[in-house]
Amino acid sequence: MSVLEIRGLHKAYGGIQALDDADFVIESPGLYGLIGPNGAGKTTLFDVVAGTVQADSGSVRFGGQDITGWPSHRRALGGISRSFQECRVLPEESCLDNVLFAAQPKGLAACMWQAFTRNNAHRRRVTDEAMRLLGLVRLQGHAHTPAAQLSFGQKRLLELVSVFMSSPRLLLLDEPASGVNPALLEVLSDFICTMYAEEARAFLIVEHNMEFIMALASDIIVMHQGKVLERGSPQAVQASPRVLEAYLG
Amino acid sequence: MRRIAIVPRALGVLALIGLLTAPVWAAGHPYVLHMLVLSCIVSIAAVGLNLMLGYGGLVSLGHMGFAGLGAYVAAVLMVDARWGFWSALGTAAIASAIAGALIGLICFRFRGHFFMIVTLAFGLLLHAVMNNWDDVTRGAAGLPGVPRPAAWRWGDTVISFGQLPNFYYLALAITLAVFALQYVVVRSDLGRVLGSIRQDERLARARGVNVIVFKTVVFALGSALAGVSGVLQVSFLRVAAPASFNMLESINTVLVVIVGGAGFLVGPAVGALLYVTLPEALRLANEWRLVIFGGLLVIMMLFAPQGIAGLAYTLWQRITGDRSAR
Repeated sequence: MSVLEIRGLHKAYGGIQALDDADFVIESPGLYGLIGPNGAGKTTLFDVVAGTVQADSGSVRFGGQDITGWPSHRRALGGISRSFQECRVLPEESCLDNVLFAAQPKGLAACMWQAFTRNNAHRRRVTDEAMRLLGLVRLQGHAHTPAAQLSFGQKRLLELVSVFMSSPRLLLLDEPASGVNPALLEVLSDFICTMYAEEARAFLIVEHNMEFIMALASDIIVMHQGKVLERGSPQAVQASPRVLEAYLG
Repeated sequence: MRRIAIVPRALGVLALIGLLTAPVWAAGHPYVLHMLVLSCIVSIAAVGLNLMLGYGGLVSLGHMGFAGLGAYVAAVLMVDARWGFWSALGTAAIASAIAGALIGLICFRFRGHFFMIVTLAFGLLLHAVMNNWDDVTRGAAGLPGVPRPAAWRWGDTVISFGQLPNFYYLALAITLAVFALQYVVVRSDLGRVLGSIRQDERLARARGVNVIVFKTVVFALGSALAGVSGVLQVSFLRVAAPASFNMLESINTVLVVIVGGAGFLVGPAVGALLYVTLPEALRLANEWRLVIFGGLLVIMMLFAPQGIAGLAYTLWQRITGDRSAR
């Protein structure tokens, strides 16, 4: 049973064909890179997989289940966790609360039950894990700082930590390295590797920083004009004349 | 620093003692109790709006329309059907909650300013029904003869709510219960989900929040509290009048919440006390209330956009040097 199966996705915005028969399968957990020139349809593909945008046609299967019509919150609860290109955190909440929010139950009944029973057992249980992950990205000292006061790079790291807290099976990371300085980039890269070593999940990472993604991912999917152009190991993809043409042509 | 942390709690306890002993220290001044009852009534509606606006990020300009709905449901049940106060109160709260959920579901199709305009329209619509459905609501003249709650009896002791101090304690008890409810909701997983919707709806959705469901629930809860406030008001004034629930009152409630401090637990209490007492203290006519509040709002927006509670909180952070999140 494959983790993610994308079949014949089409999506047009007016006259622009953002996705034009995009088609690929992620068979097993691993670190997958999704690259392509600007306008190749990477972010649209993410939005379709995460459920924020409905494709015009085609299907998305996750863990063998057809999730094409599912709204995004249902996909999130089902095990698809995403980060945003523009980086999104809850600005007023502290770092710890941001991370704990990602881990807390989201169902209405569960939330109301918690409100009236004041049962914080779950919160206490996950706090240790949250602090451990914050420590891995060196934010433990900022645990009680409102997220709005962090630098952009730190917000990226915080968002990344939050993404792991819902125990996802598939992580969609949209340009995690953009806007992050080299020192933090190393922390970020180490963090992803550590998390992958701890538990094999499927990571799909959109990235423009080639050095970063080629070192991190073992399988690269290249998109161009809404389709999958090439797929293979970082070496094979970098040597492909078609890829070079798409980027330079 | 640890020793100083007791100050806010001490202030809260002092305020509570002041409120509980009001009939003693204000003995012979029924006017004071009268204003405190009105403050309680305003603050209950404001708590409802604070949950929607301050925590859920939903700015409703039709809030008092739901208060009026609850008020008229209870008034008609008590006057025409001879229901008791408590069953009428419960029914009115449920009716307001259902109306809030249904109307909310329509309003959530719109965002930002458009949402506000649609809530305004529904507020006007509810007011128009109260004002014009003569057969049921008696129209603009109002529905007189709304009773106070039935007296409580234990043996020879009779507590009649016709007497102002007793009604004051009743209003205070309901108000405290409403603030306790606000605390319970806000400091819970439910409150955290609402906060996430206000801060970043897209993020909330990506983390698994069914945004529409939670918005509907908070709209229903806020409307129910508005309904409770309306019932208490008509029972206190003994008349249900459409003018108490018009657009102006809805906007006033928004001002009360914002000036008091939206998103702060004590915000509605601060705003309501100020709203009721300030014009009285300055001995100005009722018409000046809006002018004062409008002016205050401009000053607040410039210098303290988080309201009085927010201002106090910022000052408190300065004093204690505490930089952590609320």
